[in-house]
Amino acid sequence: MLVEALIAVPLVGAAVVAVAPNEYAERLALGVSAVPLVGSLYMYLAFDGSGNALLGGDVAYETFFEWLTLGPYAVNYHVGLDGVSLPLVVMTTVLTTLSILSAWTPIDDRQRQFYGLMLFMEAALVGVFAALDFLLWFVFWEAVLVPMYFLIGVWGGPRRKYAAIKFFVYTNIASLVMFIGFFALVFGLGDAVGSTGLPEIAQALRAGQLGALGLPGTGAAIPADVLALSAFVAMFVGFAVKVPVVPFHTWLPDAHVEAPTPASVMLAGVLLKMGTYALLRFNFTMLPEQATTLAVPIAAVAVVSVIYGALLALAQSDLKRIVAYSSVSSMGYVILGLVAYSYYGVGGATFQMIAHGLISGLLFMTVGVFYNATHTRMVGDMSGLADRMPVTASVFVAGAFAYMGLPLMAGFAAELFIFLGAFRSTVLPAAPLFTAAAMFGIVVVAGYLLWAMQRSLFGPFRLETDYDVGRAPVHDVAAIVTLVGLIVLLGTAPELLYDMMSDATIDVVEMGGELP
Amino acid sequence: MVTVAGIYAYAPAIAALPLASFLVALFAGRWLPKKGALAGILATGGSLVLSAVTLVELVLTGEGYDERLYTFVAPAETFDLGFGVLIDPLSAAMLVIVSLIAFLVHVFSLGYMNDEGEPGLPRYYAGLGLFSFSMLAFVFASNLLMAFVFFELVGLCSWLLIGHWYREAAPPSAAKKAFLVTRFGDYFFLVGLVGVLATFGTARFAGEGGFPAVAEHALAGETTVNTFGFAPETWFAVLGLLVLGGALGKSAQFPLHTWLPDAMEGPTPVSALIHAATMVAAGVFLLARMYGFYALLPTVLAIIAFTGGFTALFAATMAVVKDEIKQVLAYSTISQYGYMMLALGAGGYVAAFFHLTTHAVFKALLFLGAGSVIVAMHHEEDMWLMGGLKEEMRVTYLTFVAGSLALAGIFPFAGFWSKDEVLFETLVHGLGANPLLLGGYLLGLSAVFVTGFYTLRMVMLTFHGDPRTDAAADPHGVGWNVKFPLAVLGVLATVGGYLNPAPLAKLTGAEVDFLHRYLDGPASEELLTSAHHYGDLTHKWAGYTAGSVAGSESATMLAGAGLSLALALAGAGTAFVLYRGPDPDRHTEGLGDLRTVLVSNYYQDEYQVWLAEGLTLRAATAADTFDQGVIDGAVDTVSSVSLFSGDRLRRLQTGVVTNYAALIALSVLLGLAAFAVVGGWL
Amino acid sequence: MVLSSVPAEYYLVLSAAVFCTGLFGILTRENALMFLMSVELMLNAANINLVAFSFYWGTLTGQVFTLFTMALAAAEVAIGIGIILVLYRNFDDVDVTGPTTLRW
Repeated sequence: MLVEALIAVPLVGAAVVAVAPNEYAERLALGVSAVPLVGSLYMYLAFDGSGNALLGGDVAYETFFEWLTLGPYAVNYHVGLDGVSLPLVVMTTVLTTLSILSAWTPIDDRQRQFYGLMLFMEAALVGVFAALDFLLWFVFWEAVLVPMYFLIGVWGGPRRKYAAIKFFVYTNIASLVMFIGFFALVFGLGDAVGSTGLPEIAQALRAGQLGALGLPGTGAAIPADVLALSAFVAMFVGFAVKVPVVPFHTWLPDAHVEAPTPASVMLAGVLLKMGTYALLRFNFTMLPEQATTLAVPIAAVAVVSVIYGALLALAQSDLKRIVAYSSVSSMGYVILGLVAYSYYGVGGATFQMIAHGLISGLLFMTVGVFYNATHTRMVGDMSGLADRMPVTASVFVAGAFAYMGLPLMAGFAAELFIFLGAFRSTVLPAAPLFTAAAMFGIVVVAGYLLWAMQRSLFGPFRLETDYDVGRAPVHDVAAIVTLVGLIVLLGTAPELLYDMMSDATIDVVEMGGELP
Repeated sequence: MVTVAGIYAYAPAIAALPLASFLVALFAGRWLPKKGALAGILATGGSLVLSAVTLVELVLTGEGYDERLYTFVAPAETFDLGFGVLIDPLSAAMLVIVSLIAFLVHVFSLGYMNDEGEPGLPRYYAGLGLFSFSMLAFVFASNLLMAFVFFELVGLCSWLLIGHWYREAAPPSAAKKAFLVTRFGDYFFLVGLVGVLATFGTARFAGEGGFPAVAEHALAGETTVNTFGFAPETWFAVLGLLVLGGALGKSAQFPLHTWLPDAMEGPTPVSALIHAATMVAAGVFLLARMYGFYALLPTVLAIIAFTGGFTALFAATMAVVKDEIKQVLAYSTISQYGYMMLALGAGGYVAAFFHLTTHAVFKALLFLGAGSVIVAMHHEEDMWLMGGLKEEMRVTYLTFVAGSLALAGIFPFAGFWSKDEVLFETLVHGLGANPLLLGGYLLGLSAVFVTGFYTLRMVMLTFHGDPRTDAAADPHGVGWNVKFPLAVLGVLATVGGYLNPAPLAKLTGAEVDFLHRYLDGPASEELLTSAHHYGDLTHKWAGYTAGSVAGSESATMLAGAGLSLALALAGAGTAFVLYRGPDPDRHTEGLGDLRTVLVSNYYQDEYQVWLAEGLTLRAATAADTFDQGVIDGAVDTVSSVSLFSGDRLRRLQTGVVTNYAALIALSVLLGLAAFAVVGGWL
Repeated sequence: MVLSSVPAEYYLVLSAAVFCTGLFGILTRENALMFLMSVELMLNAANINLVAFSFYWGTLTGQVFTLFTMALAAAEVAIGIGIILVLYRNFDDVDVTGPTTLRW
């Protein structure tokens, strides 16, 4: 029942916070969010699952009971965690708590609604990572959009309405495409599955039970291979928007720039991971053959995302836009790792989800702390901030180097695994070339982050906006320093998470590639 | 696995002590009396003692050590991802060098930073501590992965320390450039590292299980590895070149040398520690560390030799026209590392390491001496504003001269012996079966003359003649903490050459080539890192054989040594004559256009800045325009089409209920008519 | 029965005439009260049909329905008059073409 508690506590908390007085909302929300944080850490320590939840592994913290019946399909309440989802759940609770902390300074209007939405989003995100039934999962998946829409649309920057609507509509259309693709598969399976449970569907697909899909009223049918391939493409496109993969990435910078800092942290840290998590769970677990067939175009998209995203980041002068575009770049690595279908590739991609979540969260938070003080995010508007805000500047430096993949920080471990896995992928033709091309991202990323730091942090102090800049409040600094600690911890001891991740992804690898 | 000798178990502490001093300086530095300096001195002193003990243990027991310490992630696949300690003659000696220089630089910093009242001292000492930690851990790294990890951390420290004075404009820019250029090299290193792991499944340096040994077996056809469809020779050469990219970046070799002169923006002790004696040595050390792999690859060796020889001459010519003392030293550093690369490429493993050792000593000495001068001159670096300092600064002058003569390669200072051996190795292997190496030899030999010239020019301008400014006439005194490191290094620069006086050994037959014997010692035998093993490998796989002039090794040696000494003396003498006298002329002005080219550093910076700003940034801007215009434009088009059509359609909604009623009635009629037609009523 | 001799078509014509009168009222009148009356006429046209066919087929269902419709029409008038009163209060008029502020 731990998973239920993890969902219910923030949900109830959200309701309570939403009616609490504004002046207590922030502390109340922090207190509420600490409960799932402690709970998920306990779950991490007591984790006893093994294998992949979709492929017959031992699921930890599983709950199952019957919910509804839709025609021939039983829709069950089925949740549980495995080595892929548990780290993501822990990251969600950690980032929620920290971003609530980082919201104390900038959010000074309608606090109770804000914190209520944050907690509601936490509940939905935990649900996304824990759900093992498609419809249940889809409810959570869509529920995440609602709080984020309001967080951007109410507390956002000057173009918040545009950004919020773009975010909502873009990802919602993507969900529709994905939904059609997935249900085409379910219908193609016909009588082979009697429920919308993800494990049942994944295992039926693995057992080769996908048949042709008859089109009612015409007598024609879509053959199984065409069906699988088009379902793969539909789901890939659907999730690619969420990740986001070039060319479906343009909602991201707009959303990030307009979103308030805590929402940016959640957006980059957790919401993007929903896309890659779903890609891993659906496309690469359920349809490995199609993934290997399309390996070259997918890898090409990944490489383009990495390099093109990094180039775009290089051209920006808004710190948030820089970090937003580099997220596009970093998520390209995840795709590359997934499509490699090798032990370190898929494991590294999973690790990168966590590493990037923490690192991009850190950078957004730090940019937010600067923004709270300077009220500008434009690189050209400020210089020498390190002089006035030394601790925050040091944290930004740490975060930037983590983003560049500095060894002994989480990003390096993730990128190393992905490169190792991709380099000798047996699935991807010319794998070393793809890998080497993607790796060039580490040079470009160093270029723009070093440039941004040089311009904004160093040199003589200068600020275009007339604000008195002093040291950041302790709670702001506490949040970012905690993240730096976590990043270094994961970078020096990746095994803390990598063991359970590789244990859960190895079954996926065996389906697509082979273990060399 | 070599047996564990007791003291080796403490080897990790050599690196851990400076790590502790990093943490102390970072978190508690501001409350400590010397802002973390003492912690750093104690830590690096401890490292020095431990390294020395390790070295003694190695010599006495003749046993090496290769032990995995920490598993990065469990090797569920064949990849071997872990950190370990490798103690063999090469790393043991390098540990002593690095910890010695780090120790002396910490002491010197008391005088250069603390006494001058610089701000940000805890940060400074934290940086030095982190640097010492990374460099020492890099040196005893037992595999390429660990080497890469600490190689990168060294780069981070260099960024931190070059940009120490971040409130000014230039240091942060120089720091960025240093990190970016070396990162560019490290990109190739990382690809190479991943390639090595993917090919061999291991990145260990030493022993039968190490990748150099596996590569040799693969070339001999005794085992097969995944060479991705290439012939093993080709694939290994590609890997070797990729890793070489990292070494070129860190060791500031052409074309990735441009960061080093800019790095002089950092505090001078940092220049001494990082940009002369240790971090820049990391590149060369890396090649030496995996020499068992390079020795198999004749093409790569030739490229290394040529790059090295070319850089030696190329950088030396630029040093001739520089006016700032640290700039001269910066270019001479690049040039000297060129010699080490030349030696490695020419099969002179011992010679390269010998030169690395002596260079670490005399270049640290020269930088610290320059630092002493700069303190005395109230932070003025232009040599034309100095002059006549030798009277006022005896200790600095004497030690600086010792270092300069060593740099110039004048007998009997340390640099003479090591540079001579580098050139000798190149010459004999060139005369043997590789005439190509003779090209490298000629480049190196020409550089000797130039080196002698710029070194003496620097000494003459700084210390001789009449004081040319008030500051030079009345220099500000320096304390014991400056003089002590200078004295230690001065003595070492004078006598360091007797570590390996190979010519004496060859002429007299006495066993005085200590370094060679040491590097060939029993401790390296089982680890496959011994000098003669490398000699066998270059002979077998790269076809290196020793040749000679006039059929005699001694004659070749004497001729080579005589030639290089004569050139060094000629260069030094020319400078002495030209810059003698109370108020020397600016003779390099006479070089005309050539001087412009040299002062502009052969326009290397320009094209690299163009690559970064002209090409990449422009591509980025174009990509941004494309992204906003075409990709986001397409997205926005979808929304504007919807909005537009919605806007048109809503005109139907007049708000007048009569219109709606009319529409409904009309629709019903039309519907009826349609039914009538389809249903056949009409 | 006299009534049974009246053919069903007569009723239909009557109902159509009443309906068209109502429709004409809706399409041409601007006074909300006239509107309401026209709507009532159209409803009653439907009622005539229901009663006529009920009688014709000899079942009572249609007539019962008519009772429902009449109750509905009464409720409708109650609400309609309420709306008209509010309309008058806000716009000082009962002209239905005037208030278009809710259209977009």
